[in-house]
Amino acid sequence: MKKIYIIGSALCLLAACKPNLKTNTPTKGSADFSRYVAVGNSLTAGYADNSLYRTGQENSYPERLSEQFKMVGGGSFKQPLMPGESGYPSPKLVLALTTSCTGVRSLSPIPYPGPVFDTAGSLTNISISGPYNNVGVPGIRVADYLLPGYAFVAYALGGAPYAYRFYSSPTTERPLDEALKINATFFTCWLGSNDVLGYATSGGSGAVAPPGFPLPNDITAAPLFQNNYETVIDSLTAHGAKGALINIPDVTTIPFFTTIPPNGLTLRKGQADSLNAAYGGAGGVKFAAGANNFVIQDTTSPFGFRQIKNDELILLTVPQDSLTCGGWGSIKPIPASFVLDETEINNVKTYTTQFNQIIATAATKHNLALVDMNSFLGTLQSGISFDGIRFNAKFVTGGVFSLDGVHLTPRGYAIVANHILDAINSKYGASVPMANVSQYNGVIFP
Amino acid sequence: MKRYTLLTLPLLLFAATTFGAGFQLNLQGLRQLAMGGTGTAVPWDASTIFYNPGGLSMLDGIQVYGGVQLIDARAEYTELPTGNYSIYSQPQTFTTFNVYAGGPIKKGSKWGVGIGVYTPFGSGFNWGDDWAGKYVIQKINLQSVFVQPTGSYRINDMFSVGVGLIYGFGSVDFRQAIPVQDQAGNIGEGELKGNANGFGFNVGLHVKLSDKVQLGLTYRSEVKMKVKSGNADFTVPMSLENMFPNTNFSTSVPLPQVISAGVGFKPIDRLMLQADLEFVGWHSFDSLDFNYSTHTSELQDTHLPRQYKNALAIRVGGNYELIKNTLAVMAGAAYDPTPVPDGVVPPDLPDANRLVLSCGLSYNPIRKLTIMAAFEYTQFAKRNASYDYAGFNGQYQTKAATPGIGVSYTF
Repeated sequence: MKKIYIIGSALCLLAACKPNLKTNTPTKGSADFSRYVAVGNSLTAGYADNSLYRTGQENSYPERLSEQFKMVGGGSFKQPLMPGESGYPSPKLVLALTTSCTGVRSLSPIPYPGPVFDTAGSLTNISISGPYNNVGVPGIRVADYLLPGYAFVAYALGGAPYAYRFYSSPTTERPLDEALKINATFFTCWLGSNDVLGYATSGGSGAVAPPGFPLPNDITAAPLFQNNYETVIDSLTAHGAKGALINIPDVTTIPFFTTIPPNGLTLRKGQADSLNAAYGGAGGVKFAAGANNFVIQDTTSPFGFRQIKNDELILLTVPQDSLTCGGWGSIKPIPASFVLDETEINNVKTYTTQFNQIIATAATKHNLALVDMNSFLGTLQSGISFDGIRFNAKFVTGGVFSLDGVHLTPRGYAIVANHILDAINSKYGASVPMANVSQYNGVIFP
Repeated sequence: MKRYTLLTLPLLLFAATTFGAGFQLNLQGLRQLAMGGTGTAVPWDASTIFYNPGGLSMLDGIQVYGGVQLIDARAEYTELPTGNYSIYSQPQTFTTFNVYAGGPIKKGSKWGVGIGVYTPFGSGFNWGDDWAGKYVIQKINLQSVFVQPTGSYRINDMFSVGVGLIYGFGSVDFRQAIPVQDQAGNIGEGELKGNANGFGFNVGLHVKLSDKVQLGLTYRSEVKMKVKSGNADFTVPMSLENMFPNTNFSTSVPLPQVISAGVGFKPIDRLMLQADLEFVGWHSFDSLDFNYSTHTSELQDTHLPRQYKNALAIRVGGNYELIKNTLAVMAGAAYDPTPVPDGVVPPDLPDANRLVLSCGLSYNPIRKLTIMAAFEYTQFAKRNASYDYAGFNGQYQTKAATPGIGVSYTF
């Protein structure tokens, strides 16, 4: 038998039994990736699980892009990495088995409990090792991008020192100055989300398009957004750099807003009856056995509360135990800061559309690639399959969003990188290879 | 208030199934293998139990026959469109065999009986545990063996008929990564193993038009290979173990019906030319369904699209006697179009249109004893293929070399 096998193998070699597929050589097309800068906010910084930590940054989409760019002449890529893994300033979220107030054990996100909090050195200014190719700063808005001393102001006002720790002149320079430092030949710009996100994640507590400089929970006024955005793109392209502009997703479809259903109040007949008796029809509140819409605070209604509508959203940050055992949503209205009502949703959508128009116009004006991330992330609503993994926009189970319900998992950042590459390849006639999505983690389970 | 339910659901499970498909094996006789897989029209030896049971009563006497083949197949995958990633399946050698015994019940009788044991379908791919398509498949191994008792009757000098009953049994082993990681970076894994069996039959008509021309027509029924209670084992992070309980599964795979029509022509005394047309009813393989005996929010029955199309293969071959009754050489070729349509080409069976070239020789040291050797080379066309269900696509090519030897003895 052995002999036969040897003869067989020999024959096979003669017959060139090994397939030989020719692969194309990657090309850069009309783009020059030698110096790449990634401009953006937390999504660009590699923020995940409600914090910034080293492996999160190492899995950022700009890191993925830079790896692929290296196959077509891309240069080195420096990120302002955090020293540790536990998350700074607040610990990252991790999935753990927890016991709810009713004694039910289930997997839920909790702040990383230790034992190792490796945050030492997180505040040290590391600009000496810069300039950095990834200038993504969590929380930064288009509104902030021309503000001198932004890094200092943000830190002084109680924000995290994310810009402060790597800007070379944090008290004087504009974020744009930092972005221009490496004199990029290619850039990606994914700014704008935070110009509506702060409003949305605060339950619409800020102002809509206030005159002057917007506060963190406001929606930036469109003229300010347009002025700043155009200045940023004008400056980045001033020396002929090419790039990709990434538009902003409709944040009302992310798990932060969609995980807790409006009708999550489950009542037995007796409970519904006694609640109905207690409310006596005030605010139109009415319960029945089964699933009921939560009661929410609403200062515009005559009683100061009402039941939530089916298309209104409850924030992921609402305390779960208060819903389950504290009477929130039944005997006590859920505070407005945990709810995005119809008007607020409408504000978010309206401004997202306006900002995306400004981004699209800038892409056309400067002949840059436009990445329609809004539509792409929209396709997640129905779910997509990629490399045998089924992705959707669900919290924890969906594989794309990390444990904060806003930012992405390493795998989510990898599919985003590939979607950006698609747009770059098609705009610049390049054939930059795609990142291998299945290589990267989704949510980590205990 | 319900807490969040969990999990990135893998495309559970089993992208499997190669029971048939591109892996219908045409290796049931050495001489036929060497002649491009032709054999419907000419009852060369006891392997006609498979190729055309009608020919069994035409044999010279009771014959025992045994053969073994080694399939050495390798596939390559390249990511599309940019070709960044490329990998070979791991080298594997599969053994198939065939054993037949039968012939006319006594010299000159119109009745023939026999039994055949052979491997009609099977396949295997091992892409490794950490390749780009690991969440679709890591490894698959499918085996099947048919046992076929057969009877044949020679109606007159021109017509003979035969019928065989088929009992098929086999096994399936399929492994897939599950996209959940624990803190140590281990990814989940699911393995499905089970034994399958099924029943079928084949019938054949042999027509001897003249000393120069023979015809054959056969029908092999579909054999539905059923796995009644296979084992599904999952390795997942501890906190998810109740979502992926080790359980049983059932499934079935249709090994399709086949209609073959063949002609054998002897232009000169020492030369036999053969041609076969083979219709394979793959259309019945529309979906592959796996039903688990335990369900959770993450472990649900799966229905994988297959949507195979019927296929028509063409085979030609010839046998030339260099030394009359002692030494013969064979050669042949076949074109086997794939039944797997675009959009449902999974990496567990990256099928494509196949070109088969084969050759062989036979030697009779004594009149009753025949020793045969054959070699077949199969090249699959390069195929840009997608498996839309899993969102996995790329370019594939497979090549296979199959050497075999066999021996027959006529009493």
